Amino acid sequence: MNIKETIKLSTPIERVEKALKLAHQGQPFLNAVVTFVDTEKQLDNLQNINPDAPFYGIPIVLKDNVNMKSVKTTGGSHILANYISQYNATITDRLQAAGAIVIAKSSMDELGMGGTNLTAATGPVYNPYDLSRMSGGSSGGSAVLVASGVVPFAIGTDTGDSVRKPASFNGIIGVKPSYGRISRYGIIPYASSLDHVGYFTRNVSDAALALEVLAGRDDQDMTSSFIEVEKYSVDLTGDLSGRKIGYIANVVRAIENQDVLAMFNRLIENMRIAGAEVVSIEMNEDLLNAILPTYYIIANSEATANHSNLDGLRFGVQQAGNDIEEIMSASRTAGFGKLIRKRFVIGSFSLFVENQEKLFRKAQKVRRLIVEDLHRALNGVDGLIAPASGYGAPKLQDTSLDQLSSRYLVAENFMVISNFSGTPSLTQPLGYVDGLPVGINLICHPFEEKKMFEIAAGLEKLTGLADCIREVGE
Amino acid sequence: MNYETVIGIEIHCELKTKTKMFSSAPVSFAKHQNSCVNEIDLGHPGTLPSVNKEAVIQALKACMALNCTIDPVIRFDRKNYYYPDLPKGYQITQQFHPVGLRGSVTIETAAGKRDVRINRLHMEEDTAKQFHYATETWIDYNRAGTPLVEIVSEPDMRSADEAVAFVEKLRTLLYYLGVSDVKMEEGSMRCDINISLRPEGTTEYGVKTEIKNLNSINNIRLAVESEIIRQTAILSAGDKVEQATRRYDDTLKSTVMMRKKEGNVDYKYFPEPNIPPIRLAAEWIEEIRSSLPELPEQRSIRYTEVLGLSDYDAKILTQNKELSDYFDEVLNYTTFTKLAANWCISELPAYVSQENLSELHTTLTPKSLASMIDKIGQNIVSSKQAKEIFPHLIKGESLQSIIDRLHISQVSDTAELSDIINKTLDEQPQSIVDYHNGKDRALGFLVGQIMKKTKGQANPVVTNELLLAELTRRKPE
Repeated sequence: MNIKETIKLSTPIERVEKALKLAHQGQPFLNAVVTFVDTEKQLDNLQNINPDAPFYGIPIVLKDNVNMKSVKTTGGSHILANYISQYNATITDRLQAAGAIVIAKSSMDELGMGGTNLTAATGPVYNPYDLSRMSGGSSGGSAVLVASGVVPFAIGTDTGDSVRKPASFNGIIGVKPSYGRISRYGIIPYASSLDHVGYFTRNVSDAALALEVLAGRDDQDMTSSFIEVEKYSVDLTGDLSGRKIGYIANVVRAIENQDVLAMFNRLIENMRIAGAEVVSIEMNEDLLNAILPTYYIIANSEATANHSNLDGLRFGVQQAGNDIEEIMSASRTAGFGKLIRKRFVIGSFSLFVENQEKLFRKAQKVRRLIVEDLHRALNGVDGLIAPASGYGAPKLQDTSLDQLSSRYLVAENFMVISNFSGTPSLTQPLGYVDGLPVGINLICHPFEEKKMFEIAAGLEKLTGLADCIREVGE
Repeated sequence: MNYETVIGIEIHCELKTKTKMFSSAPVSFAKHQNSCVNEIDLGHPGTLPSVNKEAVIQALKACMALNCTIDPVIRFDRKNYYYPDLPKGYQITQQFHPVGLRGSVTIETAAGKRDVRINRLHMEEDTAKQFHYATETWIDYNRAGTPLVEIVSEPDMRSADEAVAFVEKLRTLLYYLGVSDVKMEEGSMRCDINISLRPEGTTEYGVKTEIKNLNSINNIRLAVESEIIRQTAILSAGDKVEQATRRYDDTLKSTVMMRKKEGNVDYKYFPEPNIPPIRLAAEWIEEIRSSLPELPEQRSIRYTEVLGLSDYDAKILTQNKELSDYFDEVLNYTTFTKLAANWCISELPAYVSQENLSELHTTLTPKSLASMIDKIGQNIVSSKQAKEIFPHLIKGESLQSIIDRLHISQVSDTAELSDIINKTLDEQPQSIVDYHNGKDRALGFLVGQIMKKTKGQANPVVTNELLLAELTRRKPE
């Protein structure tokens, strides 16, 4: 059932109570919530909201890097464990104006830096399909709260593939629109040139509706676009006839799991039957292999500067020290996890004068080459598809994967090209392997979200995978 | 051996905008601490910068006045370092693409004129202010995020005089542009001076020291002079100057070491990802150029070439924008230009402090001063009488009321004056003889007698004319 229908069939209080019940019921198993948010005042405030508002009385979840005034916002980090937001993120305002009721802030990898959700200060988030497996990250909490039926919509952020990968592991839709489509004001950053606000839903119709709520120019984010926001949810027919869609051959080649490949090939067959032209598109293999190191250098360089404000002086958890410098140093050392400190070192190292040309600047050049290659691949097609992952969610302690294999470098990291290029991209369910969801990823031309949702609606019809829920507890 | 001094200057100047460089918090001096801040100034998580358009306009004006080449694409970079007064842990500045490049200004000292090249002008944000006490440090974030321009000169100055002239020149220019208060005492303009010595006739630069935090023009002069003496002594003794940052100590009357330069700090500059490059339309830049106010040099040329004032008068007037603005307004109501200039240069400053000059309009309107100047010019009021009138005029009393109340009026009526002159000459026949025998003092004596009879109200010019004519007529046979 989509949000439009839900609003007709229940009251806001019923919806919020049900969501809270499910959230509390699942929490001991999933560990997806960091902070439960008081809903009473928000429900009271609905009297100021038009009942026709798109998210009227709809319970939602914000990733814990989204500021919501007077509510704790930890960014998944110890250093912000006591931080109370002083202001609303632009999207918090937009969602509340649309009638949404925020019931919780969700778990995430520390400061968004990770793809497992294992580095969250509050511990791992567990996959509702198999509690011994990871949710994926960094927006793991939000993904799991949508997948387990708690809320129909949750905000995530996507710097590498932090919405689209967990969407794959949890059998739901994960959207990352064009860079500049949704304001980033008030979102704790990871890497500003790659950061996107994204979100999870359980069907394409809700995904399209949500972007109408979230998108639009914000003067507080100079990178936000002036391009007009469209009525994405209107006339979503899912008609694929006449569409030309490419699949990324390199990614498909890098996948070893035969079940995933079989599902993917079946989908392509069905797309052709539905009237779409599906073509194989070859991308530059060297550039695809360079995605991860390029990403690491750019993201960590920006991150080390972005998080220099976390020094324990004006806010956050402060450690003792004899002078200000000592306080700053001690607070940062105690406040960040080991992985984060490692990333800061990599970022700083890449920016040093003696390294900047051969690391940071070179990474920028490679990024441009990758983007050019993507645009070449997109040229002449409406969109590109590929499996969003070569397997279902890994076990929590899985370290078996060779991170230098193309199976990993290409199949598991290609979605970063949409962060490099700012192209809109979404992941939706493809099918199940051994009972675990696997998604399909779609990439479209910048600001062609309307077309992206239309194609996604067509694929959703073919897979039949909408509104998938795996409740946990009881 | 004689040494040549080489000086380069960096100036940080706070812009006079309503709001901060990257946030909508108000800019203001001396407000209650930490009252002019928002989440952006405090570097709270998730905040993003928005470039202040007014600050860009003001920076562009400064570029134009300094004859810089303007980069039509505005770009910002991050300068990374940890310091308690830097909330974000980085400063947003323009390292790689400053808005202004390669400008120049002409300075003038007793040694003559010199062109000083400007290396660059860039925009950035100010830091917070720290207050260190015995056991505590307090931080006021009001200043954090205030728009700044940094202006860097080439090492083109050769003396303390020239350093002072350069800073004064920039102060005046920026003040005329209306882009800054340029108050060095309040820190809205701050000066760092790089200074080195080299044997006269050589071209290679010597080791330089940087003198920071100079808070007055006078201290710039004292600091440079003492640093020249210090470096000369070191070099003359065959020693080497140590590259270091120094400050000027008022009580020691000398520069003292702040810190040694141990290589350059790596600020890990990189382009600011949250501010996309902003392309400025050429027409928009030209619009700003055409809105530039008259600058001191142009004004000075107008004064000398159009109004016929002396170079000296023009210089004195243009050095003080409020004063010359006032002078220009007075000229709207009188054509006695030179008289008006004299009054503005010598009398006004004696009665009005610089701080009150801008509020002078409210009591002594330019029109009112002009009316008195007209009376002087038309010989209705003497200069001496004007000086009696002025203290009342400046309090807001009307000219006519002062004249009436003090019974000030000049006898310019020739018939009346002739009577008095004849009467005086009749009484003083010896003076007539003395005058014609070449004793000049006789004339002064006679004028004195006439003034006495008229209680000082005889128009001196008319009196002189009539007296001389009468004396000629009465020349003994």
